[in-house]
Amino acid sequence: MANPVSLLAPALIPSWNFFDVIAASPRVEYALADARDAVLDAWTEFRPRPQRLSPVAMLARLFWNARWNESLFLVSCAERLVEEPTAHGEDEIFRRIAADLAGQPDAAPWLSFRLLFIDPTGEREVLYQAAPRRLADLDLR
Amino acid sequence: MSFDHALRLTEALLALALVQQSLEHLRAFRHERFLFGVRIVLCLLVLVGVASPWPLVALAGLSLLILQRFQGPYNGGSDRLGLLALWCVTLARVLPVEQWRELAFGYLGVQLMLSYFISGWVKIVNPDWRRGVALRQVFAFSAYPVAESLRGWAGRPRLLVAMSWAVMLFELAFPLTMISQPSLIVGLVVAATFHLVNACLFGLNRFFWTWLAAYPAILWLQQRLF
Repeated sequence: MANPVSLLAPALIPSWNFFDVIAASPRVEYALADARDAVLDAWTEFRPRPQRLSPVAMLARLFWNARWNESLFLVSCAERLVEEPTAHGEDEIFRRIAADLAGQPDAAPWLSFRLLFIDPTGEREVLYQAAPRRLADLDLR
Repeated sequence: MSFDHALRLTEALLALALVQQSLEHLRAFRHERFLFGVRIVLCLLVLVGVASPWPLVALAGLSLLILQRFQGPYNGGSDRLGLLALWCVTLARVLPVEQWRELAFGYLGVQLMLSYFISGWVKIVNPDWRRGVALRQVFAFSAYPVAESLRGWAGRPRLLVAMSWAVMLFELAFPLTMISQPSLIVGLVVAATFHLVNACLFGLNRFFWTWLAAYPAILWLQQRLF
């Protein structure tokens, strides 16, 4: 775990290089299974964006944008996981997928996720796949 | 705008921006609810001006716990400016010498100016930005467009070239707006509109509120320097 002072330093001495290079972009996909060693072949995109969003909804998100900001946080976790895998990044993604699935009592008991990266040419590549975890074991408090 | 007025306005706007962000975390997990619940209380104390500067000092300390919790800023650049603004206004309140307090607050104004200029510079030296290709990629495959229908903008190359150049030229020209107070105000209105468009198209609402909160710092700095 990085210490908080080292995490603060880039904020106090910022680089401001927003969007200097458009890198490959991650999508989080998850799969459910009945057993830990089951073959995972039915991947679902986590929180796909809506087809359309009205201007009123866009403006309303100025004031309340919790799910979208959480999804952007998962993008950061995904990028960090591929650069330098940590338990923290994997835990964050598992917990937030599991929290969304908590309203589905009939969901299969084993959960896995993978990180699909789309590069500027449109090529898609899976760069990370997490070992399955039992939904019941994930801490959602 | 006097130093005290600008500092008070910045800390109040920042407190409101942090309350807005913190409310979004109250729907999450217990540990997050606790951290951000405490942050809301401290922000309200800053807003009403109770026990100054201690709520700011506590917010700065809490920011370290939040950084530790997420192993970095929760939402990238917007949270970074929020952290910078928080630490600058805290130092501007607690440092013992007036010139040091002005230096801390002025640093926020300088960084705000650099946030536009450097963003423009790193784009214009990239041929993909100059040709509109980078913005096409943002719309075509990045994680930012808030709706699938916006991906269709990737197929409008002339519009994207125009948008790319408008953004780059505005960002690069921003320091020139500091020549006078009216020109800076015009520059900040254009910049706020830019953040509003980003909030609508890419869901970057935190940028809008956080950058707005820092505007009094650059307005004060302009008066102090010119």
